[in-house]
Amino acid sequence: MKSIIKMVSVLSVLCAVAGFVLSYLKISTVTPIENQLLTYVQGPAILNVFKDVDNEPIRERKSFAVGDGKNINVFPAIKDGKLFGVAIEGFGQGFGGDIGVMVGFNVNDDTLVNIDITTHKETPGLGSRVSEDSFKKQFIGKPYAVALKSQGGEIDAISGATVSSNGTVLAINDAGNQYKTLKEEIIKTWNSGAKNEFLQGIHQRAVE
Amino acid sequence: MSFYKEFTKGLWNELPPFRLLLGLCPVLAITKTAQNGLGMGLAVLFVLVLSNMIVSLVRGIIPKKVRIACFIIIAATLVVAVELLMQAYAYPLYQQLGIFVPLIVVNCIILGRAEAFAAKNPVNLAIADGLGIGIGFTLSLTFLGSVREILGAGSIFGVKLFGESFEPFTIMVEAPGAFICLGVILAFMNHLSKIQNRKRGLTANEKLGQGCTVCGGCTACSRGKASA
Repeated sequence: MKSIIKMVSVLSVLCAVAGFVLSYLKISTVTPIENQLLTYVQGPAILNVFKDVDNEPIRERKSFAVGDGKNINVFPAIKDGKLFGVAIEGFGQGFGGDIGVMVGFNVNDDTLVNIDITTHKETPGLGSRVSEDSFKKQFIGKPYAVALKSQGGEIDAISGATVSSNGTVLAINDAGNQYKTLKEEIIKTWNSGAKNEFLQGIHQRAVE
Repeated sequence: MSFYKEFTKGLWNELPPFRLLLGLCPVLAITKTAQNGLGMGLAVLFVLVLSNMIVSLVRGIIPKKVRIACFIIIAATLVVAVELLMQAYAYPLYQQLGIFVPLIVVNCIILGRAEAFAAKNPVNLAIADGLGIGIGFTLSLTFLGSVREILGAGSIFGVKLFGESFEPFTIMVEAPGAFICLGVILAFMNHLSKIQNRKRGLTANEKLGQGCTVCGGCTACSRGKASA
């Protein structure tokens, strides 16, 4: 009996210490991990999507609430002082897990500016071909609700990789839904001249 | 002196992947490039030294019957910590190593050293053992990674070694290349041991020095202890 109590208490204490250490580490690494993701995963994708912009989409990103306690990052692209497009990351179920796609939307006519794959675990040489340019460039200029040809849309699936192609389309539609719900807020945030002047005023005061 | 002895045994006599053939899963899987090998080796080194130290510190209070569970908790905590730190400060390496970082938990070197050494020895010797074995593991992985990267991609640590005309052996960076390289290296190691043994007047197949007791693996189990 005594030995059982000792076993239980030693294991409990050990687990409790491990739990505290790990939760402390988890909390203290949230910001650096987010920054690393922005630098190594989302950053390059955004630069691929918006090739010539006047601002820095990553630094000027804003987080919006999308219901059920979730937040998503929206990256603005500004050209000639006006909001030209936004990039939103969407996820869709592929063959080997979620496919992440950074989708650029043109806010003037609701078309896709460009897309880029951020994360995927698809089969190398087969499903992984969704990240090739010949597949991605099909989306440029299309209205943001895209679909594969087999589902009545205009996108050619990669032969032998229908699930991966469909996952990419699902991810784009996921980002598209976020875009649709957030569009008014997005335009209000970055395009109202009054607010821009207000922000510039703050910025100037800070500089002075 | 004994600190030095415990430290150096991991560098040659008990070199984990090439002498004891322990921890082969990461050895075969991630040594596509020298840099991956080094990164994985350092992660294992970190976990191994700390787990040896902690196991040695708590060896007096851990009940014998649940010792394996305790060792695994300690190793798993350290590995998750490494994973988080790697994500926070070395993201490209984390992307390369992927699933193999969490798998360090079940790397037999970690549990093997905890069970066979750290649970029976004072802290300073346990740290020396962890450092020696860990550095030996790191060097082995980096060496194997370099060989495969030079042959399979014509570069080392990402620096191109040969001109444009070099046609890389792509098979060397694929899975079969890992087995081929490991086999050739093991053959060299065994041949070297034979030559050394012959010089010392031992029979060819006997391991350096004390025969099979050199690995210490058998002292871990109760039957081995009875016979030793």
